[in-house]
Amino acid sequence: MKLEEYKEIVDKCSKKENKIKNILISFLSGGLFGLLGEIFRKYIQRLFSISNSESYMYVFIVIVFIASLLTGLGVFDNIASFFKCGVIVPSSGFAHAMSASGLDHKREGLVNGIGSNIFKMTGSIILFSIVSAFVFVFIKVVIL
Amino acid sequence: MSILFKDIYINDHYSVLGKNMFNVRFKANEYTNSFYNGKKSIEEAEEVLLVKAIDGINKKVDVCISSDLTDQLTASSYSLSKYNYPYIGVYSACSSFVSGLIVASSLINSGLRSAMVCVCSHTLSSEKQYRFPIEYGPYRRKVSTTTLSGALSSIVSKEKGNIRIEYATIGTPVDIGYSDINNFGAIMAMSCAKTIYEHLKDTKRSINYYDIILTGDLGIYGLSILKGVLSKEYKISGGNLVDAGSIIYENFESKTAGASGPVCLPFAFFNYVLNSKYKRVLLVGSGSLHSKKSSLIKNSIPSISHALSVEVIK
Repeated sequence: MKLEEYKEIVDKCSKKENKIKNILISFLSGGLFGLLGEIFRKYIQRLFSISNSESYMYVFIVIVFIASLLTGLGVFDNIASFFKCGVIVPSSGFAHAMSASGLDHKREGLVNGIGSNIFKMTGSIILFSIVSAFVFVFIKVVIL
Repeated sequence: MSILFKDIYINDHYSVLGKNMFNVRFKANEYTNSFYNGKKSIEEAEEVLLVKAIDGINKKVDVCISSDLTDQLTASSYSLSKYNYPYIGVYSACSSFVSGLIVASSLINSGLRSAMVCVCSHTLSSEKQYRFPIEYGPYRRKVSTTTLSGALSSIVSKEKGNIRIEYATIGTPVDIGYSDINNFGAIMAMSCAKTIYEHLKDTKRSINYYDIILTGDLGIYGLSILKGVLSKEYKISGGNLVDAGSIIYENFESKTAGASGPVCLPFAFFNYVLNSKYKRVLLVGSGSLHSKKSSLIKNSIPSISHALSVEVIK
């Protein structure tokens, strides 16, 4: 049997994913959390009379803290499976991926376990962010 | 390649169930109610399950054949190091119970008195090893299966019992080029169909000779793929094909394709088939032969299935 014929049988028998529903949930939940973040930012900006850029940093810290805490308590995976990419793509997902990888290797020690595995999933995000930042700065400064 | 065994019986079995993501329909001999079983790592928690299964059966045997899904059979080797049994570790992923029974039956044919065949798997250790970190909780496709947490041990000997081992068919690895790591049913269905065809050809039996053909852990979608391949490629239709992975969990259909892991097949066999009126049973264990590295370098995934026909004497 050829692979194409086999794939036909597989496609016929397998259940299709409801992509539109997933995209819609991610879009709405991402938007909702973005809105909550913005309300929170405006609130702390007014409360502590800080600058715009400073307030973004504090919101980021709070999101990372809450996401990591919820991962540690074992709740964030349920939240993620409900809200889907709406909480995985923003910084909450980054913090969650780091804490989840760290927790997995807790028993293997601080250095060989947590230290070397905490960036297992997020390491490539950091690396390629730096690479792309370099490329775009180069384009902006040298070429343009 | 089929071998006929004479007067070899499965005498006893003992099953332990760990905590699972879904409710399990059948009853085990013993339960544990936490994922970690009082240990600090998931690997040690899996060993606890196997140790409980070996302790539960509590019989002196000549050799112990054990298997699980962890790297280098960690759970089996570390659990068996606590006992004084000669030990062989076998690995053919989720078909390990059948390959263990084939090795045990051959050893008994060559003169040993009794052998213990055990398997264990843990839902979180498989998740951590093959998929994502435990707490990550990524989006799971509906065709993906969920590993059953549990362990099972059984005794094989020449002493007369109510399950007689008959023909064993050792399967050949099949690689059709399929590489979707989330759809194990589709990976294994091809080799499962091939082994069933070869078994029927070697034994000159028709598919309706068996009261039930219990496949390993294809899941609900894998089972219909198997039926499709059997009728299209091998022109075999009919037969009472039941998948162990599809009957173990309760109310799982909207979230997963079924249970998987080496424990599924023996667990469904001892709890479902033995309690029904089936007499001629064909067990087909199927396993996906990939590793963490092979799936990362985007290789296609070979699979293997072994078949064992047993007669239930009532």
